[in-house]
Amino acid sequence: MPRVRLQYFALLREEAGRQSETVDTAAATPADLYAELAARHGFRLPVAQLRVAVNAAFSDWDRPLRDGDEVVFIPPVAGG
Amino acid sequence: MSAFSFSAAPIDTAGLAGPLASPAAGGFAAFEGRVRDQNEGRTVRSLEYEAFEALAVAEGERIVADAVRRHGATLGRCVHRTGRLAVGDVAVWVGVSAPHRAEAFAACREIIDAVKHRLPIWKKEHYADADSGWVNCEHAAHPAVAEFDYSRQSALPEVGTTGQRRLAEAHVVVVGAGGLGCHVLASLAGAGIGRLTIVDHDRVEASNLHRQPLYAIADVGRPKAEAAARRLADYNPGLRYVPVARRFDAELGAALLAGANAVVDCTDNFAAKFLVNDAAQRAGIPAVIASVYQYEGQLQVVRADRGGSCLRCQWPEATRDGLVGNCVEAGVLGPVPAILGQLQALEVLKLLLDLPGQLQDELLLVDLLEHGQRRLAAPRNPACAGRCVRVDAAAAHAPPATDVDLRLPLAAAVAAGYRIVDIREPMECAFEPLPVSGQQSMPLGRLLDGALAVEAGHPYLLVCAHGVRSHAAAEFLRARGHANVWSLAGGLAAQS
Ligand SMILES: [Zn+2]
Repeated sequence: MPRVRLQYFALLREEAGRQSETVDTAAATPADLYAELAARHGFRLPVAQLRVAVNAAFSDWDRPLRDGDEVVFIPPVAGG
Repeated sequence: MSAFSFSAAPIDTAGLAGPLASPAAGGFAAFEGRVRDQNEGRTVRSLEYEAFEALAVAEGERIVADAVRRHGATLGRCVHRTGRLAVGDVAVWVGVSAPHRAEAFAACREIIDAVKHRLPIWKKEHYADADSGWVNCEHAAHPAVAEFDYSRQSALPEVGTTGQRRLAEAHVVVVGAGGLGCHVLASLAGAGIGRLTIVDHDRVEASNLHRQPLYAIADVGRPKAEAAARRLADYNPGLRYVPVARRFDAELGAALLAGANAVVDCTDNFAAKFLVNDAAQRAGIPAVIASVYQYEGQLQVVRADRGGSCLRCQWPEATRDGLVGNCVEAGVLGPVPAILGQLQALEVLKLLLDLPGQLQDELLLVDLLEHGQRRLAAPRNPACAGRCVRVDAAAAHAPPATDVDLRLPLAAAVAAGYRIVDIREPMECAFEPLPVSGQQSMPLGRLLDGALAVEAGHPYLLVCAHGVRSHAAAEFLRARGHANVWSLAGGLAAQS
């Protein structure tokens, strides 16, 4: 089971109540992982509104997750 | 009645207040400065004032007029005594009428402070035991304003006099003069950017002040663009500030961004951010875009001048306001937009000075709780180009083609007898000279001011970097009856 390091920003940080966490997941892709976390933390934003970065680069939602990946879910923000 | 005068006779305060009354003025404030019987522990018997009147009157009138205008007061007047005064005599009197008490107090305070600081007035105090001798009223009052000094910045080897000149010749458009924009503007004015266009259709609200230090409490209710320009003109009077108190849209964007070196997006909603993104792409200039959310920020530099990835590449078209919080709903701590705004200013300076480390095709995430920064690679989204094109029929990534555009090698145009007019800014011309000679140099701004003499019977070809400015300029001249004016399609970039 891959172990991944997660970082949350903005609305997701608030909803998760934390800035980062490490999880062991059965999810094969970032999309599956987000669904798993959304159920756990009550994330309200749909995947279509987010971007995901894996290891410091924006990524597709269906790339395979590997052990040790650093995953960042990024909601858009607009404040100024 | 002059707004400032000297009086050798005792000041008639009642007679001065009367003429300041106005039906529009609900408030009147006056200040009287009187001779005290003590100074630095010594007993004062009397006092003498002497002024360099010719200079002081002109400067005093300017002080009163500036304060009245700045604070939106109605009328102001100041009288200063000269000659010998006894303890208790009125030495200086200031009166201001205004619609409300706040403007009256603020303008009155500003006038007396400026008069004390700036006017060439000397005084001699007669003590019980001796005289003070003539001393300047306040510390080294001198009417000449100091010169804004960039030496601490141009001392950087990467800046130098060349870089400083480049900044002085630059034109940057800042859209949004709020939490981000205030800091961008202050920093760019400090750096000496020659021309700053300030776009904001909002008025200053009291809830803005905690994170927008360009505004004073007296500015509440005033248009932000104008209040910001006024404040910056006090800060660094050597630059040109163009306040535009209108909502940014595609049409305004096309007009303002033509000829600019960069646009800085400091708006607080996605609709506006996409407008700035698209306008920058049409103008072919870089856009420095930032957003904040509570304790975090995001920063992206859209290198539309180099075909870099854009805001729409990063965020799906479906991104709408209301889904994510803005400052009004989510709250914000002042230093967060301040830091992101300073990062935007930094990226603008890096661009203009060609410093290393410029952001392109990246998203910078800044977490100010944990002090984390992440630079995420954010390349062009292949699906975006189509989307960008659909955003506007005029095609975001390519200049529109109409009958003013000519697509041909420059050398061929010269051979065909076209008079070539390079409408780029001097800095651009120096960096990338035209591959032909004999052209006329005429930056767009001067051309739009009517400085180009178009001789009938000769064809003219206008040239810029990407064909966007030259297109606009050609249309401008066509509309003024010059039928034989053309734009080099794609600009210099399309020549190689
Ligand atoms: Zn794009």
